Amino acid sequence: MNGFFEFHFYLFSLLAIASALLFVTRKNPVPAALWLVNVMIALAGLYVMLDAPFVGIIQVLVYAGAIMVVFVFVVMLLNLGRSGISDFRSLGSRLGAGAVGLALLANLLVVQRQNIPRIALAPETDNVVDAVAASLFTDYIVAFELTSLVLLVAVIGAVLLAKKRVRL
Amino acid sequence: MIAEALIVSAILFVIGVVGVLTRRNAIILFMCAELMLNAVNLSFVAFAKLHNVPVLICHCYRRRR
Repeated sequence: MNGFFEFHFYLFSLLAIASALLFVTRKNPVPAALWLVNVMIALAGLYVMLDAPFVGIIQVLVYAGAIMVVFVFVVMLLNLGRSGISDFRSLGSRLGAGAVGLALLANLLVVQRQNIPRIALAPETDNVVDAVAASLFTDYIVAFELTSLVLLVAVIGAVLLAKKRVRL
Repeated sequence: MIAEALIVSAILFVIGVVGVLTRRNAIILFMCAELMLNAVNLSFVAFAKLHNVPVLICHCYRRRR
């Protein structure tokens, strides 16, 4: 089981770097956004391999979910994406996609056969969510409240800017 | 694994910088900025593991090896 984390660390590193290179070389914003989603999910895997599963889950929820949806909405509203141009046209890229899919399937089968230690019902010191919440509401309460203030200002600014005319 | 994580973080950051410097599309510029932010996040997590910050790093996976 020792090699499991190292192997997947290098796998996700390779995935992140390759996806990032594909991301900056795309002309069309929509495939670029999708490759960026790939980067973020690979980074979430990297966080889990670095013993930070909470950060990994938050990465998937916030970045791969919320922020990328914002990007795709902006692309859609501004009509930036050119339709009809697909990234996977040629036979070579289709074969590459199939090979990646088969590699993922093989990896999943191997992982299922290995008896991965489940997340133990850990003692309370190991409960990451509790620890994060406790430190947010005790040690870092000032920063937390300031962040909420910044978010409130952002909401008010968005409402004011979105209105047609402002009478103050 | 920490040194490798920092190397990956540096590579991702450089890719983001190159994207910001070479692309013209505004939305892609934002996406490259997000890539740079994520690279810095990766280095934060690597340093948290290096210094064993108990808030973020849990060893619940490896305890029962």
